Amino acid sequence: MSEQFTRRDLLHQAARGTVLATMGGGAGFLVRKAHGQVVWQVDAARCLNSRLGEVGVEACNLCTTKCVVALSAVRAVNEHSRCGRCNICPAYFNITSAVDARGLPSEKLCPRDAITRKPIGKADPEDPANNFYEYLIDEEKCDGCGKCVMQCKEPLGLGSIILRIRYNRCVDCNRCAISTACPKDALIQVPVEKALT
Amino acid sequence: MSGADLQVCAGRPGGPPRAGCLPHMAGWATRLAILVMVAWGTMPAQSIPYQRPVDEAPQEKSIGGGYKTPVVQKPLPRNSWLQVLDVAVLAAAMAISSWLVLKRRNRKSVVALAIGSLAYFGFYREGCVCPIGSIQNVAVAMTDPRYSIPMVVTATFFLPLVMAVFFGRAFCGGVCALGAIQELVLLKPVQVPRRLDLALGLLKYVYLGLALFFALKPAAARDFVICRFDPFVGFFRRTGAPHMLLIGGAFLLVGMFVGRPYCRYLCPYGGLLAWCTRLARRGVTITPDKELDCGLCIEACPYGAIEKMRAVRRNCLYCARCYAACPRDGELARAKAQLVKLS
Repeated sequence: MSEQFTRRDLLHQAARGTVLATMGGGAGFLVRKAHGQVVWQVDAARCLNSRLGEVGVEACNLCTTKCVVALSAVRAVNEHSRCGRCNICPAYFNITSAVDARGLPSEKLCPRDAITRKPIGKADPEDPANNFYEYLIDEEKCDGCGKCVMQCKEPLGLGSIILRIRYNRCVDCNRCAISTACPKDALIQVPVEKALT
Repeated sequence: MSGADLQVCAGRPGGPPRAGCLPHMAGWATRLAILVMVAWGTMPAQSIPYQRPVDEAPQEKSIGGGYKTPVVQKPLPRNSWLQVLDVAVLAAAMAISSWLVLKRRNRKSVVALAIGSLAYFGFYREGCVCPIGSIQNVAVAMTDPRYSIPMVVTATFFLPLVMAVFFGRAFCGGVCALGAIQELVLLKPVQVPRRLDLALGLLKYVYLGLALFFALKPAAARDFVICRFDPFVGFFRRTGAPHMLLIGGAFLLVGMFVGRPYCRYLCPYGGLLAWCTRLARRGVTITPDKELDCGLCIEACPYGAIEKMRAVRRNCLYCARCYAACPRDGELARAKAQLVKLS
């Protein structure tokens, strides 16, 4: 089939060439300033629950309510190396509740009972008040409400509990729903290697 | 570190101060603590002024007893090579889509491809990252010097457009998960009156303009409306805001009769693809040399993409229904040829 090359074809090809060149230029520009993989992470220094100075306010639970997946992709993590391992942990116990027979607050703080407490090290049964305790947060139960985070920070605690994102739940939304709601802009996109430290 | 100054003791008002933690005073402290406890136990709920017992975290050595610090779970994000795989799958699916439609002219395989794409890009990848939403990322990255996007997003945005410049909207046909879910629910297609179709078709450019307007606001006020109001992503993730699931359900319900309402009237990326497709080198053709003028293909096209017995490439969504309905082409014709050969 022999086809004549008409002026129409020429215009067509010229237009196609222009569009392709423009797209190529745009892509080149974006690739030049491209960075590697980025993921969402909670900036503990900005998060209302963990940043210093925010005391006497309710814990912000937007991470729980705003996340698009059913059980929030944000959960509390206890960085054990920074944990004071206190006998009366203000993040484990509701320290405003009545004291029970053991001399400990009778209520727990976590609404989902996600924190477990056990004595560690050389335990002295005579003197339970002087033992160390390990506080472990159950990943599957925690929904990131931030109550324990709020209690653990200075001056009550050492700030070892912070909110972090679990990437097995995070669906990496283009615009994280929590980030649009966060009053402190604490949800930020960081390079993947930074997010894991 | 020999422990006295690091030992934990619950500070209580009236209870022993720090010195109470020293080993030789421990018995005395316990007795006093029990006293306080008993006194408090009889009182109603009341607050304990909390006093932090330690100033620095005790480490494995000072805890003793062979204690090992438990490892904090850190679920990893998706591997980056898997994202490259997404782009490769996207490119391959588009190539297959255009081959099936332009060469094989076979509707059944297009449906199979659509099911596959829906499973992969929709339910496995949960709708992200998609070229439709990437419009916003690309627009912001182009204008905001402090915002940049990974290369896979750039590729996801440009690949279908480049494809459209050569072969038309191959992406819409069997690749786009949003298109595929609507393609599969379209059971009783009705023809939308041409004028209404044209008028509604302009909506997608209004939506594109709005999306760019919100995406290009300063970083604090920025909003990605295309993603926020994606009608089907809730289904892909099997969770979502109730109102969006409702809107998505409404789209699917309407989509049973009106072919692909989101693609034709709202999809901003569809608008870009339509522009690129005007330059396409090849596109769907209606039986170039075996024409019957029967018009069965016009009735078969649910998207109003056949006018005056010619395919309108910019509206063609690569569904291959016209071939399936054609007595001279596609499956029907091939089956007939097979019969002739056998007899």
